[in-house]
Amino acid sequence: MMPNRMGTLPIAAENPLGLSWHDSAWIPLLNPSNIMDYFSERSNPFFDRTCNNEVVKMQRLSMDQLQNMTGLEYILLHVQDPILYVIRKQHRHGPNQATPLADYYIIAGIVYQAPDLASVLNSRLLSAVHHLQCSFEETMSYSRYHPSKGYWWDFKATKPGLSPFNVSQSAPKETTSTPKEEPSTLFQRQRVDMLLAELVRQFPLPVTQTASNQTNGVTVKTENTNDKHADKPSDGNNVGNITIKQEPVDPTNSENMSNGNIQGHIEVKTEIKQENMKPPPEKKPRV
Amino acid sequence: MMDEPIIRYEKIDFLGEGQFATVYKARDVKTDKIVAVKKIKIGSRLEAQDGINRTALREIKLLQELQHINLIGLLDVFGQKSNVSLVFDFMDTDLEIIVKDNNIVLTPANVKAYMIMTLKGLEYLHQNWILHRDLKPNNLLINREGILKIGDFGLAKAFGSPTRINTHQVVTRWYRSPELLFGARQYGTGVDMWAIGCILAELLLRVPFLPGETDLDQLSRIFQVFGTPTEEIWPGMKNLTDYVQFKQFPPQQLRHIFSAASDDLIQLLESLLAIYPPKRCDCTQALQMPYFSNKPAPSVGAKLPMPSNITKLETEKPSLKRKLLENIDGGSLAKRLQF
Repeated sequence: MMPNRMGTLPIAAENPLGLSWHDSAWIPLLNPSNIMDYFSERSNPFFDRTCNNEVVKMQRLSMDQLQNMTGLEYILLHVQDPILYVIRKQHRHGPNQATPLADYYIIAGIVYQAPDLASVLNSRLLSAVHHLQCSFEETMSYSRYHPSKGYWWDFKATKPGLSPFNVSQSAPKETTSTPKEEPSTLFQRQRVDMLLAELVRQFPLPVTQTASNQTNGVTVKTENTNDKHADKPSDGNNVGNITIKQEPVDPTNSENMSNGNIQGHIEVKTEIKQENMKPPPEKKPRV
Repeated sequence: MMDEPIIRYEKIDFLGEGQFATVYKARDVKTDKIVAVKKIKIGSRLEAQDGINRTALREIKLLQELQHINLIGLLDVFGQKSNVSLVFDFMDTDLEIIVKDNNIVLTPANVKAYMIMTLKGLEYLHQNWILHRDLKPNNLLINREGILKIGDFGLAKAFGSPTRINTHQVVTRWYRSPELLFGARQYGTGVDMWAIGCILAELLLRVPFLPGETDLDQLSRIFQVFGTPTEEIWPGMKNLTDYVQFKQFPPQQLRHIFSAASDDLIQLLESLLAIYPPKRCDCTQALQMPYFSNKPAPSVGAKLPMPSNITKLETEKPSLKRKLLENIDGGSLAKRLQF
């Protein structure tokens, strides 16, 4: 029935479900008797002007003739008077037989094509998956890992909104720097020391050399402190001052930090003075 | 020999009366065919100065030599007393009746079928150097088999002789081309093509496309649709004898007038109704345009609509024919299957 609709195809070729159309001049006047005329406006991309409706209209015949024709036609399917109209596009095979092709709904004068079920499901699934993926990506950005501490959440670090706190800015720096400063945990060192001591006990060295070894160990420690000085001149400079400096830091950050931090400091201080390992413990409790 | 024809054609019905002739429906006793007998009126002395009415003379002269399925066939000519009668194929209806019948919907396929048949007939005519010069729906005759034949050759004339001057008072006004309206004396197939364009438009709109009330009004209507031509569009227009300056009308979009027409049909219309005559397509070019090869395919003859008073008669015969055809088909199919 329908000749080539080359002219109209390009418009329909792009997904019609993403289209809407209206003519604001018509909108206040719409009623069940003129809604088909509105729909058959030339600029409406949903309307195929080679349809039977237009053929009959162009030939100035009665619309009753549509029943006797075969081919593409549009009918007014449903009316909910002031606001909603549903128009169906169908292929008529005979007076009593027609195959629906598409439905269009006009809400408040704006014409949309009603999507098919597959498109609805597709679209809903896609958006659900999309949001899930976004949330995963967001979550991933808050996770932190350190070989010695395992995984933890760090929500503050990535929040740009907290910028007023300079502390929060300094915090990420510390996290990056800490791995260097912290070649091993206290536990690990104690452990290694224990093993070394055991080995030394099992395989005692010549008397003259042992003394130098011990001094080496000491120097290593001092080197550590020196490294610290180099890395962070401001914070951890003086081993003796550490407590004083950290105290002012704690109140600015938050109340939560206090316990764990202080304990950590205390341990460090008491056991090995060079241990300025406080920064990592500071961050944990912030969570 | 002279007496025989009188017996040969039995008058069945009175069909109509024109300015120059009366037409009867008759039965050819010899072949038992239904024919149309056109009895030429004697006319005034002036009209009969060639010995016979000029329009009848044209028809006899030209149709004797023309044989085409889409041209009316002149079967016989006979004289009786001082009258001359022409015997034609009997045609059940014509396009004007169909266009005016509001119970009929002309589908795009029907329109295409009519156009193909008209253009094929006219192509044959033009190839034989004859202009019809009076094409209008009324002269496109259709029989119950759905075959369209161009009829009424009363104004037809040979063309192509560069020195021959023709009259411009040809073609019913509504189908008359702008060059004729401007008084051109030398014209060609373009005048017929323009008329075809107007007929096509009428098939689409079901009312005459350009129903001018006077020759000037006719031109005015043409320009209101296609825009007033300028010297650039139509070189030499101002030299035509009856040229008049018209108000400048802007051209309209044919797509807006023929709202349900497909793009390939609009292309054909624009080509048939080109204002500048040399730009108008001829029949061969028209038939080669995409419109005729694109979907939908033209309706086959039997499926073309008929006015209600004819369909009643028609239902009996074609049903028999169909049965026969089906039998033939069935037979051949069975043979094929056996093979």
